[in-house]
Amino acid sequence: MQDLSRCPRNLLVCERSSFQNEKNRVSAQVEQMHFNYKVSLLLPDCSSAPSHLDETLKSFNSFYLIKKLPIYKLLNENFLRSAIYNGSVYGLSHQTRIDEDNCVSLMPNGILTLSLDKDSFELLGFEGKPSRFNHRRCSRFVVTVNLTDSCMAPGRRNYLRLLEGLKSRLPLQTDFLLSHHPGGGASLHPLLSCCDWSEHQPEVKFRSLTNVSFPVPESCDPHSFLQWLGAVESGVSGENSSNSFLSSLICPEPKTQTNCALSACVSGMLLPQDIQRLIGQLRSADGTHSKHVGVGLVCDSPVSQESPGAGPVLGGADSSRFRGQPRVLGRERAWISSRRRELLQPADVPRPHLPPSLGCRRTRCLPTVMPLTHQNQEN
Amino acid sequence: CAAMMQGQTSDWKIAGPCTFHRVVLKNASPHHYMKVHLELEDNSNRLSAVELKHFIIAGLKNLHGEVGAALNFDVLKYDEGSLTALLRVHSSGLVKLWSSLTLLGSYQNQSCAFRVLQVSPFLLALTGNSRELQLH
Repeated sequence: MQDLSRCPRNLLVCERSSFQNEKNRVSAQVEQMHFNYKVSLLLPDCSSAPSHLDETLKSFNSFYLIKKLPIYKLLNENFLRSAIYNGSVYGLSHQTRIDEDNCVSLMPNGILTLSLDKDSFELLGFEGKPSRFNHRRCSRFVVTVNLTDSCMAPGRRNYLRLLEGLKSRLPLQTDFLLSHHPGGGASLHPLLSCCDWSEHQPEVKFRSLTNVSFPVPESCDPHSFLQWLGAVESGVSGENSSNSFLSSLICPEPKTQTNCALSACVSGMLLPQDIQRLIGQLRSADGTHSKHVGVGLVCDSPVSQESPGAGPVLGGADSSRFRGQPRVLGRERAWISSRRRELLQPADVPRPHLPPSLGCRRTRCLPTVMPLTHQNQEN
Repeated sequence: CAAMMQGQTSDWKIAGPCTFHRVVLKNASPHHYMKVHLELEDNSNRLSAVELKHFIIAGLKNLHGEVGAALNFDVLKYDEGSLTALLRVHSSGLVKLWSSLTLLGSYQNQSCAFRVLQVSPFLLALTGNSRELQLH
């Protein structure tokens, strides 16, 4: 019988340093987060958003929703020239679930990723590899294509093969979110002009909080700190007694009390460049208390699922000092799974496109059977 | 392992603010958090937070006996309108609580079901869900 007290594996990586420290990886981590869904801010001693911050939050780049986009149109020659070769395109299939549906993503470095179920993968007939997400049962496959590679230039054999596959054998169609940096809509025109599209601005929400207890970050362990931050963000009361029937959650000690605080969140398809700008604004702002920033990633992105990157939570006591705690929003399983992969041996992962490994071809050595002699019988 | 984690977290606390300090905590989350939604056959029926907790405890007792009924879990937040709740449970009790919720099938002689919407070792992760992004 399985042990009922076991729970799914989890991993938390916490980093604390000055922004000036050469080992600081906040900028590098934010740059790697291509598909962000939500950014939340917690500003103590603040009843309304400072004007410069309000302006930054409301100036996040807009994004486009294309209805029922045939995926082969992403290989359109004009679109490749105007958008993909000349800048950073962020694209992601919308309302598709990574565990049930076929998902598509387009990264700023020109890499197109298709996460397909087994039947679709076989229909497409293009080289791919088994998804790392579920290594026990090989039911999903990931096709990764670098559209900026010379072998994928329009007219080349690989390009034509993928185009043919997406046009005739596997005519994938999905709602698609698209954004471009720095060109915006003008660069995407070749694609938008032949589709049904709408432009959307990230949604900004503010919430005023009163009588909030703040733990002292230096004397609080990371899990308690994250729990407190989550409780404040989700409006859970931290003022409970230890014998309360419903909840015994409390703010970690020691703590300080503030009369007011402001919680702000932006949601939509958010570009890492906008998040970098926001962090820069917060660093330059005055203040004596910690400011906290949390970034939530899109959980159904094939890229998030395959790479071990994670969204950070940042907090800091003054303008030049933040505390970084990478965290995962809505995709813990992917994080855990990608870490678990390191514990596997290469032979544990099926690779249908490769010839069997040497280990499989090795002949088994059977033990030699010795004839039973009179002397052996005596022993 | 626990002593090592204790050491790591205490190092984390005493580290100076300007030095670079990195802590990796593996399977160290003390709690798990669940966002659940109760579906009732009769939508007009409403439960209070206390009734909901009683109902879940009854389910734990049915499946895991007195030991299950003694399992500590918290109802952190509950919305009576949407019958959605945030639960916190010790990581060691997650499987027992989840299995009880799955097998709870009737409330006051009417069919019901718990839908587990999100589960995470971090409460912060339950504050947003990209699947809820609706664009019109």
